[in-house]
Amino acid sequence: MSHSLAIDARGVTKTYGDGDLAQLVLKGCDLTVPAGEFMMLVGPSGSGKTTLLSILGCVLRSSDGHVHLFGERISGVRESELPRLRLAYIGFIFQGHNLIASLTAEENVAFQLQMRGWSPGDASREARRLLDRVQLGGKYKRLPAELSGGERQRVAICRAVAGNPPIILADEPTASLDATNGQLVTELLRELAREQGHTVVCVTHDNRIFSLADRIVRIEDGQILGEGAGSHAA
Amino acid sequence: MTPQGPPRAVPMAKPLTGRAPLWLRWKTMARVAWGMMFHQKLKLAGTLFGVVFATLLANQQLGTFLGLLYKNQMYVKNAGADVWITAPSVQQLPPGRTISDAALLTARAMPDVEWADGVLIGAATMQLPSGGSEPVTLVGVNATRLKGGPWNIVAGDAGAIAQPDTIIVEDAEREKLGGLNLGSRRELNGHRVTVGGITWGLLPFGPSYAFADYEFARRLLRTDRDQMSAVLIGVKPGADPQAVAAQLKAALPDVFVRTGPEFEESIVNYVLRQTAIGITFGTSTVFALIVGFVIVSLSMLSSVVDNLREFGTLKAIGTTNWDLTKLLFVQSMTYAVIGSVIGLGLVTRVAGGIRSPKLAMLLPPQLVFGSIVVMCVLCVLASSLALLRIRKLEPAMVFR
Repeated sequence: MSHSLAIDARGVTKTYGDGDLAQLVLKGCDLTVPAGEFMMLVGPSGSGKTTLLSILGCVLRSSDGHVHLFGERISGVRESELPRLRLAYIGFIFQGHNLIASLTAEENVAFQLQMRGWSPGDASREARRLLDRVQLGGKYKRLPAELSGGERQRVAICRAVAGNPPIILADEPTASLDATNGQLVTELLRELAREQGHTVVCVTHDNRIFSLADRIVRIEDGQILGEGAGSHAA
Repeated sequence: MTPQGPPRAVPMAKPLTGRAPLWLRWKTMARVAWGMMFHQKLKLAGTLFGVVFATLLANQQLGTFLGLLYKNQMYVKNAGADVWITAPSVQQLPPGRTISDAALLTARAMPDVEWADGVLIGAATMQLPSGGSEPVTLVGVNATRLKGGPWNIVAGDAGAIAQPDTIIVEDAEREKLGGLNLGSRRELNGHRVTVGGITWGLLPFGPSYAFADYEFARRLLRTDRDQMSAVLIGVKPGADPQAVAAQLKAALPDVFVRTGPEFEESIVNYVLRQTAIGITFGTSTVFALIVGFVIVSLSMLSSVVDNLREFGTLKAIGTTNWDLTKLLFVQSMTYAVIGSVIGLGLVTRVAGGIRSPKLAMLLPPQLVFGSIVVMCVLCVLASSLALLRIRKLEPAMVFR
């Protein structure tokens, strides 16, 4: 197992429920993602892509199989260890931005930095730098409700990359955005990932942004069906 | 499926090892806690209402109870005696039974006793100019030493009771007693008396105190010359009242000998155990706390349920259950402190507004600080439901 692999998932299976009600959602998925890759995981609704993303993001446990992040095994670790792993490896971007409504744009980003050990002053400066980077320079003190959908998702991107976690997991980041904003946000995510060396796994069924991926992996009915190179593949 | 990654000009991001130290996690979670609280102003107001209501009602009840308790202890607290001798089984004043003056003589013979005086306390009836009558609690004291009262003189002079047929009455009852003033004359237990002074606030749980010279009071109360209600004793400077009380107990096995604080405690025990006052006020205080607990508990739970997605997000991005416990702890302590300070402010105004010798609400510092502590404990406990809900929350819910 090489540490140049950001994600190494083998035989990942997930079953919800027991007995007759058991529902097999993932059926032995194998997936590897090299460090620094911008990968898109695509498939129809109910194909298991979000479940796989949740397992890779240490927010859900697999029923079977192994997952390693940069060589560290995350499957089978104690429940209480998972928050540490999430802090160490993962930056999340959610479908609905999921910013904390009572915190300003700057505070939402700084919160993540402070949880990663940054002092409040440094966290605030870094949050502003990141917000400047996504053209939200004048909106540090705005609450999420005072921002447009595209702006909120840009704040969410800043929060995800804050502190420079090696892996960014994005769940349908363009789902609530119009075509223009969807393209802009994905391009921004790609740029930031390039600049800072993040590995990105982006779950989407928005074919307008497929062209931005290094690689596209298809999942259907709980199984990885195949892959193809995105337009940005080297 | 292990493709080669695209070539990179920048170093790859590495796993992070930094994690916020404990103080920073507290600070960070406190910021989020306050942000959430003050963002939902209606919910904040509702929760604070619960704490304010509980503080106000609990303190109003306890303050009134302490006021009533003080009325029962008032005489013992202000009599100026270190040691008391009463008839056996006397638990509060006025004592129903008298004791022999042998107790007084024995006390005066003790080497560590500075002074000892008999006191008479009994019910008397004052005739009113209108033809009716009103009861008073007549207290006969040594008019020279004036131990055992009167105190809080607002008109006239305490020493006036040394004058023949002179009494001192309570200001709060002047109107009730037919518009008494200095120099007013009334008939008390069949004797003509003159008002020589007026006190303020000497209104016990029963009829108000009226003070007279010991011998005069004995005649009015028709008490035998060798009988008295109690013996008040002052010990010499440096002497231990407990030791003096112990010596007197040994010398006077047929009477009750207590230090002042012991007598006060006996009165508290009597009120709590032998009357319904303690249960009545205690029950309403507990109900106030229960109502406050329920309001705070449901408000905090509702706040968590309304923000499940935010809590799920916090969990997903790396906060632990312990971090979220800190968040709820900060919120509950903030509710408790703000709510109890507002509640105490209101109850203090109420107490000031209704303050009179007839109804005094006492809010000693112990009650004030105790209220804040109790509210903190109550609010922290009330956050348990919310905490249970958060602990059960799966961070994966944010992807649904």
